[in-house]
Amino acid sequence: MAAHPRPAPRRTLLRALGRLLLLLPWILILLGGGYAVMRFLPDEPVTYGDPVEHFKYGSTGGERESGFPYWIWQALPQVCAEHLPGKGYASLGMTFEPGRDLPVGMSKRRNLGLDRVFLNCAACHTSTVRDAPDAAPRIIVGMPAHRFDIRAFESFFFNCAAGPTFSKDRIVPEIDRLSGGLGPIDRYLVYPVAIALMRERLLMLRGRFDFVFDQPDWGPGRVDTFNSAKVLFNFPMKQLPAQELLGASDFPSIWNQRKRMSRDDGQRMELHWDGNNTHTEERNKSAAFGTGTTPPTIDLAAIARVENWLLDLEPPPWPWPIDEALAARGAPLYAEYCAGCHGASGSDFKGAAVGHVTPIAEIGTDRARLDSYTRELALNQATLYAGYPHRFRNFRKTWGYANMPLDGIWLRAPYLHNGSVPTLRDLLEPAAGRPSTFFRGSDLYDRRRVGFASAAPAASTTPDGERLFLFDTRIPGNGNAGHEGPAYGTELPAADKDALVEYLKSF
Amino acid sequence: MKPAFRTSSRGRSLVTALIVLLVLGAAGGAFAWYKFFREEPQPDWITSDPDMRFKYGSIGAERDAGIPYWIFYVLPRVFPDKLPGPGGYASFGVVWEEGQELPVGFSKKVVGFPRVANNCASCHTASYRVSADSTPVFVPTGPNHTLNLWAFFRFLVDCAKDPRFNADNLMAEIRLVTDMSFVDRMIYRFLIIPITKKTLLEREEQFAWLYREDFPPWGRGRDDAMNLTKYFMIRWPMDDSLGPTDMPSLWNLQKYRPEKGMRMNFAGDSHDPFSVIIDSALGLLGAAPKDNDEFIEQVRWLQGYVSAKRAPQYPFPIDAAEAERGKAVFQATCAACHASERTGTVVPLAEVGTSRDRLDTWNEKAAREANRVVRDMGIERPGLVEEPLTGYVAAFLDGIWLRAPYLHNGSVPTLRDLLEPPPQRPTAFRRGYDVYDPERVGFVTSGAEAERIGTLHEVDAKGGGNQGHSFGTDLPDADKDALVEYLKTL
Repeated sequence: MAAHPRPAPRRTLLRALGRLLLLLPWILILLGGGYAVMRFLPDEPVTYGDPVEHFKYGSTGGERESGFPYWIWQALPQVCAEHLPGKGYASLGMTFEPGRDLPVGMSKRRNLGLDRVFLNCAACHTSTVRDAPDAAPRIIVGMPAHRFDIRAFESFFFNCAAGPTFSKDRIVPEIDRLSGGLGPIDRYLVYPVAIALMRERLLMLRGRFDFVFDQPDWGPGRVDTFNSAKVLFNFPMKQLPAQELLGASDFPSIWNQRKRMSRDDGQRMELHWDGNNTHTEERNKSAAFGTGTTPPTIDLAAIARVENWLLDLEPPPWPWPIDEALAARGAPLYAEYCAGCHGASGSDFKGAAVGHVTPIAEIGTDRARLDSYTRELALNQATLYAGYPHRFRNFRKTWGYANMPLDGIWLRAPYLHNGSVPTLRDLLEPAAGRPSTFFRGSDLYDRRRVGFASAAPAASTTPDGERLFLFDTRIPGNGNAGHEGPAYGTELPAADKDALVEYLKSF
Repeated sequence: MKPAFRTSSRGRSLVTALIVLLVLGAAGGAFAWYKFFREEPQPDWITSDPDMRFKYGSIGAERDAGIPYWIFYVLPRVFPDKLPGPGGYASFGVVWEEGQELPVGFSKKVVGFPRVANNCASCHTASYRVSADSTPVFVPTGPNHTLNLWAFFRFLVDCAKDPRFNADNLMAEIRLVTDMSFVDRMIYRFLIIPITKKTLLEREEQFAWLYREDFPPWGRGRDDAMNLTKYFMIRWPMDDSLGPTDMPSLWNLQKYRPEKGMRMNFAGDSHDPFSVIIDSALGLLGAAPKDNDEFIEQVRWLQGYVSAKRAPQYPFPIDAAEAERGKAVFQATCAACHASERTGTVVPLAEVGTSRDRLDTWNEKAAREANRVVRDMGIERPGLVEEPLTGYVAAFLDGIWLRAPYLHNGSVPTLRDLLEPPPQRPTAFRRGYDVYDPERVGFVTSGAEAERIGTLHEVDAKGGGNQGHSFGTDLPDADKDALVEYLKTL
């Protein structure tokens, strides 16, 4: 080095510039890489300290695989308004709390450079009750989402993706408007790519879930869980026999899980409507597929928080007066007719047959849901979570429906697994005396008959935008027969039935 | 470093470089051994329980015939169109216990990476249901009458032939079901998937006879065993023979006594149980065993296991008085072949008169060649019979109720049908449905579910003939009923 002549200052400058120019691509790559790492690598859910908030808005990890970019989610009700039954996601029966930008049951996570949102457990297991038409709705966690029309939710996204407006030309300006302006990287790169990927993904799912749209409408509060599970394995749905293809049934309540982990004979209770699994842990992870999770992407810690909280979560008590004298008359009737299968009380689940499957020939309720769950599916479910210590081991085919404890039964209307009987009082009538059609989807409470208001509303849409669904028990899969006869109390005198219903309000 | 380098001699630096290379080579070798060849024992719940070992235990077939676990896992999801029906692998009629990750007869073992292969239980575990609304009962060592082996073989080849069988598609599905390290993803993408595709495609020519338009499918519960041996073990070119036969039961295998002139396999083409197990296991291995001593130990264990098993009891009530009457009919009509010195020996074809197609799939020369192949592996066994095939073995009838359909080629659905003269036996029926028919003694062969699940057996099709064995077919109906009642007790 020392031997070299000292270069003139101008040449030094040029050389430095030249060097810089040579280095420039590297600097740009470094900066770009740095930006990409900072932007796209973080994987952070929005978290909540309070278990109730965590349940309502916390992540299950589903956004990682299935999440919609938050701003696309916000833009679609405007972009595809024609595919929604009314205004916004509320028209699908989703519940919005004041001051919240997402409905109950939607979680948010920063993932792949975007805020992504998807359903969590609360979407199907939280809903509302109103005392009177003008009363504010009470939000009750853990109850069946009896107003949420999950099939309309699916249809909205599928139809939107298939339509001409699902394009960056329509969605990006709407996001721009809603978000108050997008930066160039988001406008020209991130969102166009996200929109294309989301569309492709939705169209693929639309094809796989095609079978759903050959079924009669589910109506709010119902889902065909196990035919959807067959889609997970990519079963060729068109080849399934007709009797398997109608599995729509009510969302269940999810309180008091600890007590459901044992029963009188020391075994675990049979869970799901047909009792196809005895392990809450598997049942929960299975349900979590519905929140968009996959084995590698599930957020086990976040789910564990929900699981632990659900162990002892209790339903709220009946909030209105109970005729104690009448209820006292109902108690021995309950003990005689119901307790053996449904538990000693709303909080004591003892009973020889509680958590046991009653054979279909005996219970006599609609068998479509039972038939939708097949041995072939149970076998394939045993491959889920392969390679993990919690691989599913407990799914099995059964031949009837499981006897459930009745905690919070007042919030679990309509009744029977397929929600084919609107009120408890109706359930105590023989099938022939039960309403053959009724309306579902109202959160207005019918204190007299115990269930939700099910009579025809003045118009099909009530003033506050509530949309009701005419449920027809004569359609396949919707049958309201069964759970009847002397052993089921449907031949008791009317006064006894009234007393029994009064007593059940205390559950 | 620098001064040291300067002062070191040329020779020393060469040695250093060599050492570095050797270390790197050794590390690479260790890595390759670990990722591709290290063997992990199967878990204790399999190896410590004889029934579990029979159902899920490795017989060493993973090394050469194993399919990488995650490819096996996602194939039904990627190629549902190539399955016989909905239900993933369940659609092949495999015997599959609820809660088990793999069907019975499928073993999972780590040889470098987890692989899936088959063992004897895949074809030799029976299942039946006492009613449509009930859980199946499984009988290890019983015949698997529901397995559609033909469709399973074709599925693997057809998947490999499909352009969708590529790393992009398979990895996209695998990513949804498991966490894989970056290194393992690369190994899967660039080595395991392409090699598996190539390996499966190599079987295509040997499986050519499965694709012949002029041959019927085997149907559930049947296996063209000697043609498999011919095309895979001795690699003969395809001929025009087709002879699928029912999967046999293995229980109480010790009843075959070679020293009394008994022969094994339907056509008496093998000498003794030891040889039969060896040859079947070699078929599953698809190659010479890695370690003959280990292999023979495995065969001995299997022989002990199946010898000790007994046929299960008939699961429905039996009319004891009727059975007693039937016993007399049996003594007069059947015992001469099925409960005598003749049982287990070959009855000439002219005498039994059943379909000869199975005999035509094998011959003396093939036997000599197969015996040579096994001998060349260094395995000593009495082996295949190096004589022309002349007829079929008079069967032992233990557990005959669970061995439907009947005759060597499963061409007669029930015992009661077998007692009808051949022209009056069913000419087309469904087989492979597992609900039992206690009236006619066999499996249910008609009705919506039997038709949806079962495969059609036509007696006019090649290899399907139901002629022959017209013994007892002229008995009065009352005697036939009594005889069938008695057969339930065996």
